[in-house]
Amino acid sequence: MNSERRFQPSYRTKRSAVRNLSFLAVCAFGGLIVTTSLAGDNISDRAKNLHFSSIVVDTHDDTTQLLLDSKFDLGARQTSGSIDIPRMREGGLGAIFFSIWIPSKVTGPIAVEKASQQIDAVREQIHRHPNDLVLATTADQIRRAHKDKKIAALMGVEGGHMINSDLGVLRKYAGLGVRYMTLTHSGNDEWADSSTDKAVHNGLTGFGKDVVREMNRLGVMVDISHVSDKTFYDALSVSKAPLLASHSSCRAICDAPRNMTDQMMKDLAAKDGVVQINYHVGFLSQEFRDAEKADPKINDSIAKEVTKRCGGDTNEGCMLIEGDRITREYVAKGVLPRVDYTKIIEHIDHAVKVAGVDHVGLGSDFDGANMPYGMEDATMLPKITEALLKKGYSDSDVKKILGENTLRLMADVERVSGELNVQK
Amino acid sequence: MRRRSVFLPFCSFLLFSLPLTVPAHADELAERARKLHFSSIVLDTHDDTTQRFFSKDYDLAKRNPDGSVDIPRMKEGGMNAIFFSIWIDGRIMGPPAIEKALDQIDAVHENVARNSKDMVFCRTADDVRRAHAQGKIAALMGVEGGHMIGNDIRMVRIFGDLGVRYMTLSHFYNDEWADSSTDKPEHNGLTDYGKEIVREMNRQGVMVDISHVSDKTFYDALEVSKAPLIASHSSCRALCNHVRDMSDDMIKALAAKGGVIQINYEMSFIDQTYKDASDKLSGGVVAMMDQLKKECGDDEACMGKKMTEVQQKAVAEGKLPHVSWERIVDHIDHAVKLVGADHVGLGSDFDGASMPEGMEDASKLPKITEALMRKGYSDDDIRKILGGNLLRVMEQNERVSRELRAQ
Repeated sequence: MNSERRFQPSYRTKRSAVRNLSFLAVCAFGGLIVTTSLAGDNISDRAKNLHFSSIVVDTHDDTTQLLLDSKFDLGARQTSGSIDIPRMREGGLGAIFFSIWIPSKVTGPIAVEKASQQIDAVREQIHRHPNDLVLATTADQIRRAHKDKKIAALMGVEGGHMINSDLGVLRKYAGLGVRYMTLTHSGNDEWADSSTDKAVHNGLTGFGKDVVREMNRLGVMVDISHVSDKTFYDALSVSKAPLLASHSSCRAICDAPRNMTDQMMKDLAAKDGVVQINYHVGFLSQEFRDAEKADPKINDSIAKEVTKRCGGDTNEGCMLIEGDRITREYVAKGVLPRVDYTKIIEHIDHAVKVAGVDHVGLGSDFDGANMPYGMEDATMLPKITEALLKKGYSDSDVKKILGENTLRLMADVERVSGELNVQK
Repeated sequence: MRRRSVFLPFCSFLLFSLPLTVPAHADELAERARKLHFSSIVLDTHDDTTQRFFSKDYDLAKRNPDGSVDIPRMKEGGMNAIFFSIWIDGRIMGPPAIEKALDQIDAVHENVARNSKDMVFCRTADDVRRAHAQGKIAALMGVEGGHMIGNDIRMVRIFGDLGVRYMTLSHFYNDEWADSSTDKPEHNGLTDYGKEIVREMNRQGVMVDISHVSDKTFYDALEVSKAPLIASHSSCRALCNHVRDMSDDMIKALAAKGGVIQINYEMSFIDQTYKDASDKLSGGVVAMMDQLKKECGDDEACMGKKMTEVQQKAVAEGKLPHVSWERIVDHIDHAVKLVGADHVGLGSDFDGASMPEGMEDASKLPKITEALMRKGYSDDDIRKILGGNLLRVMEQNERVSRELRAQ
């Protein structure tokens, strides 16, 4: 879930506050990419072979919001959104982290209940589609699922507010299969500062550090997407296991606080972490951000239109899908610039140059953000493989980016967990 | 009955004809009972020890000076399978109830993990047997009160996935979808949603526990459930007329569908004289709880302690009668006479109720085996009562769950 979905009603002040920040960097290739026909429609045999033999892992998908509607069938090809079983199959997506997400402003026991409902929704889908999906909680289980030609389903909790400052709840989420937790969402929680809120904790509080230590012990990856830079550095120094940025891109290319600076990526990599590139247009393209910033009315009118189409602001699944659709309509009208999927490749390439090829992966934000042209859904994923090969990446480097880096990170986190539990 | 009629003449013969040999034979029987007890799976379906996990003064691994259950006393008493009760006050509802239940589930998991040398967490009857074969105590969980799912059927699955193996449909108060035996009926038993919850429990393999519920709720659950029910901690109303206990008709109906009644040791559930005196003193269990709640607030360990204090003081002052542990055996025997040995078990309510004299803690459990043997029960029947029956019901629930999930 991107932190500042532009169609959010304006009362969500935590999100609108972000827009007051100044954006310094210039988007390197903004506006230059005018791809009329999608190059990715022709995938070479080499890319196809490589892609479909690789374990492709996506660490962030907001499809869970759609699963809350009992009529939604993950097994049927949908006409909207980005993820369902047929399209994951077609795009060779082998492992997916379903995001457990509720807005930051929902806190307390209600947050625990709502998160539990979403965990249940994911687990129920897995039960409902035993031939296609299998719950995975370890790197080995993902590899086994791949061998069995099943899609590995995993879960990440996107926001520390969902544990209600209760380590017992964190442990139960882990027990139910959750394998990462993002320390905050777009607002600060009780123990960690967010990148899109006013700092109040100076990073992680003492309890926040305990949360990170308990996550290490449980084998739950510490996800630093969404958190403030100070929270990131605090987590980096406290965590005994490598960190994950489940869905963040490069600030050097697009100056969003949700993205990582080159220095942050280097520091993350130095401790064996991985940054999973987010496909959200507002995080990929400086030009897009600038256009948004130039006319704040755009966001308000999109928000109004979304609320109208979804009959209010409670159906998050509808709001996500309609937000993306309306954004596209604005791009078609020329109100917002068009961003192409090649921008994703640019971010991957930049991160590889800065942090090394062992430290970059994919965290799409499908079904939770505005996708660039040519990456509308999971079927488009082979284009990434094709583009990386064209750039001269080796087969083994492509495999790392597609999923092996994430699997290594998971294995590292599992090893640390094992060690900490023995020490106990 | 049959066993007993064989046994009695034999017993009279011993007592009246050869009084000098009695000690030798009694010792022999005691030894045989000991051997039987300590080779059996002794399973208790209801222990409120979970509340004590939140107290700094309590350590599951050590012998505690108060309360009834810890590992040393379980070992001493041969109790090798225990359902830790997940319980919060029935008036806490909605999301806070869910979170508090999760905290208690976590406390059980953490305490079991911390004592992995002695205990292992179990989800199935086979798990329990495996634990027994390894010489470990099998730890299980039951949620005592439907209010903890926050009126949300999905939480049945979440609790089930976390290892909860039974849920009591209500506690002392009605919840949103089931009437309690100690509250004014408002749903006429189970609501439609309550019936759906029972079906979901069947699907998840979470046993339906009808202790605490109103008679109508019991009959509704019995009709809806595809798997046998349990009464995790209830005794016989024929011997002690308490709404928390089961009438003979109810016990018969429960047994007819393969269920099991796990006898509760609470004095006011097993002894009519005590119950009558206690009612006079405190105005019944709910009124007493209300009073203690005022004194202890949310500290459940304090509640337990106070309850015992109040009760012991009243007994000392002669306001409450003494109750012997043998009343437990009377209840077991009554239920067995009524429905046979396949439908009765043990649900002590240790650490959550007032125990009769001689059954203060888990270390005293071998007495039950010996008493049943003295009554002439066969080894097989005693093993069933000690735990075999409950394991059978668990297995039946597991089978129903598999069938329903396959549909």
